Amino acid sequence: MAQVTRFKQRGWIGTILLLEIAKGMALTLKKLFSRSVTRQYPVERPSIALGFRGQHALVRNPDTGESLCVACMRCATVCPSKCIHITYHQDPETRKRIVDTYEIEALRCIYCGYCEEVCPVNAVVLTEVYEYASYDRPSVYYDKDRLLSNWDRFLGESGRDPKTYVNPFWRPRGADERTLPAKKRLPVPEEWTLEGQAKGIPLPVAASHGSHGGAH
Amino acid sequence: MDTTRMKPVLEEEGELFTLQMGPQHPATHGVLKLDLELDGETVVRCRPVVGFLHRGVEKLAENMTYAQSMPLTDRLDYISAMANNVGHTVAVETLLGIEPPIRAKYIRTMVCEMSRISSHLLWLATHALDIGAMTVFLYCFREREWILDLFEELCGARLTTSYTRIGGVRQDVTGHFLESLLRFTDEFPEKVHEYETLIDTNRIWLDRTQGIGVLTAEEAVQLGLTGPSLRGSGVDYDIRKHRPYDAYPYLDFQVPLGTHGDVYDRYRCRMEEFHQSNHLIRQCIEKLPSGPILSEDAPDLVMDPRPKCVTADASLSAGLIKIIEERKHFMEGDVYVSTEVPKGELGFYFVSDGRGIPMRMHIRSPSYIHIGSLPALCEGGMISDVIANIGSLDVVLGECDR
Ligand code: SF4
Ligand code: SF4
Repeated sequence: MAQVTRFKQRGWIGTILLLEIAKGMALTLKKLFSRSVTRQYPVERPSIALGFRGQHALVRNPDTGESLCVACMRCATVCPSKCIHITYHQDPETRKRIVDTYEIEALRCIYCGYCEEVCPVNAVVLTEVYEYASYDRPSVYYDKDRLLSNWDRFLGESGRDPKTYVNPFWRPRGADERTLPAKKRLPVPEEWTLEGQAKGIPLPVAASHGSHGGAH
Repeated sequence: MDTTRMKPVLEEEGELFTLQMGPQHPATHGVLKLDLELDGETVVRCRPVVGFLHRGVEKLAENMTYAQSMPLTDRLDYISAMANNVGHTVAVETLLGIEPPIRAKYIRTMVCEMSRISSHLLWLATHALDIGAMTVFLYCFREREWILDLFEELCGARLTTSYTRIGGVRQDVTGHFLESLLRFTDEFPEKVHEYETLIDTNRIWLDRTQGIGVLTAEEAVQLGLTGPSLRGSGVDYDIRKHRPYDAYPYLDFQVPLGTHGDVYDRYRCRMEEFHQSNHLIRQCIEKLPSGPILSEDAPDLVMDPRPKCVTADASLSAGLIKIIEERKHFMEGDVYVSTEVPKGELGFYFVSDGRGIPMRMHIRSPSYIHIGSLPALCEGGMISDVIANIGSLDVVLGECDR
């Protein structure tokens, strides 16, 4: 519990000379000469963090060119907005499931990233592509081909190597390897493992502020 | 049927004007509509009309598993999504009897305080803009952008974070994140000082805020206010202190309290909370323990909504099957858990009948209750003070209308 400070009563000199307004003006004047913080967007691009939840894609298997999806339906089950629709048939010989259609309605998606997190084979991903606004609805109802080409677009734009790319939602940082399905135990940076995870940073002694004003 | 709402926008009614402020008025912070009756410039009657942003979140959640309803909470108070995520998850964990690991608790507390800073920054920006101090707006957004960038690095989204997971959090922090956050906390007190230089003693600001919208401690409690709006009236009530959750019991912080209960004191309380939150984040960074971020009891993200198949006293010989089935079983009963979000007390009330989906989810949102106090604040005052009062309560309509 702590009492907040009220303002200090203004003296008559301050009242006549507009001291507090002069101080504010001095601050804004100083800012006039400091570096601008505005980003000139279409020219200056923001750097997008790894694992940004953007446009959907289906990962293309580099060897076969097909999608990795095994039609386990986990993503369609977990999706909170129920925007993933999958149909499949079973191959009579190999008993494997073959995906017939795979559709994601991007307009209904809430970009929670649950689908990529539950996928046992890392087949679906939310890429770092964020510019995909469109004038019509059909072009944001992604079918399987479109989703595969989204993956190509992402690789092309970001320059990431499909062999080493690991999305943080495929293999959550700090997750226990043993609890993950085999395909999700990808080689990741040291930091993402339980052993190498980031520790707390000891604060510099002098800088332990935080008890400003009248709060103490 | 109330006929006053059908009347044209501005109509003379004897001596009284009926003025319908909102729902598209920029100073009502969203889609709040106020039916005002004015005698000259004095507000005689003020009646808030809410519900323009109703999306049926509570009803939607009844058809979703607990994990699926968590992203809905991003859209309640969309300014501090992290704090809502944590509130929802703490409630579900209490219901299911899951204890998150200590590292996850610290990370959650850290992101909660970050969202408190970002929420108060947006509040300060718009509150000052409403009252007429336009410069502060841009200064606040500069720092808010920084926090949102940090959120993006942590969880891949800036606003709709969906960061927590029942039994922990979804992503661990990285060293780069911690260092950037530490740099932020280093510089942030200076930035707060800048905002204070601009408005704290400015005579126009003082005239517009001091002695306006006064609520005594008793009135504020009776109206059900929580958070900084209540503490501005000097009532020492903070859930982080009095019913601590996550890592708050291990951390040291103060609860700023006002004395006069006017708009200015509510403003000062939030300004002090900037420093307190900053202090809390620094403690979290320093003390962050290592270890898992997800409890071993945490249910799978695909929570099975089928009713459980075995009873608790099924024979132990069932072995592994029993364990698997037990994980699918969720406790019956109801639970109300409240957490301190930047706006006040956010409570989640769950009724569970043992399936993986709630039978009822009720949200006690601070904004809804704060809007209920507007008549008490505005009636008898000037029309220009209505704006200052709305701003000082820090309401968000996404949360109010749900
Ligand atoms: S991100 Fe969420 S809402 Fe979107 S498709 Fe995946 S699971 Fe569904
Ligand atoms: S979870 Fe993965 S493998 Fe399973 S259906 Fe979805 S995309 Fe395919």
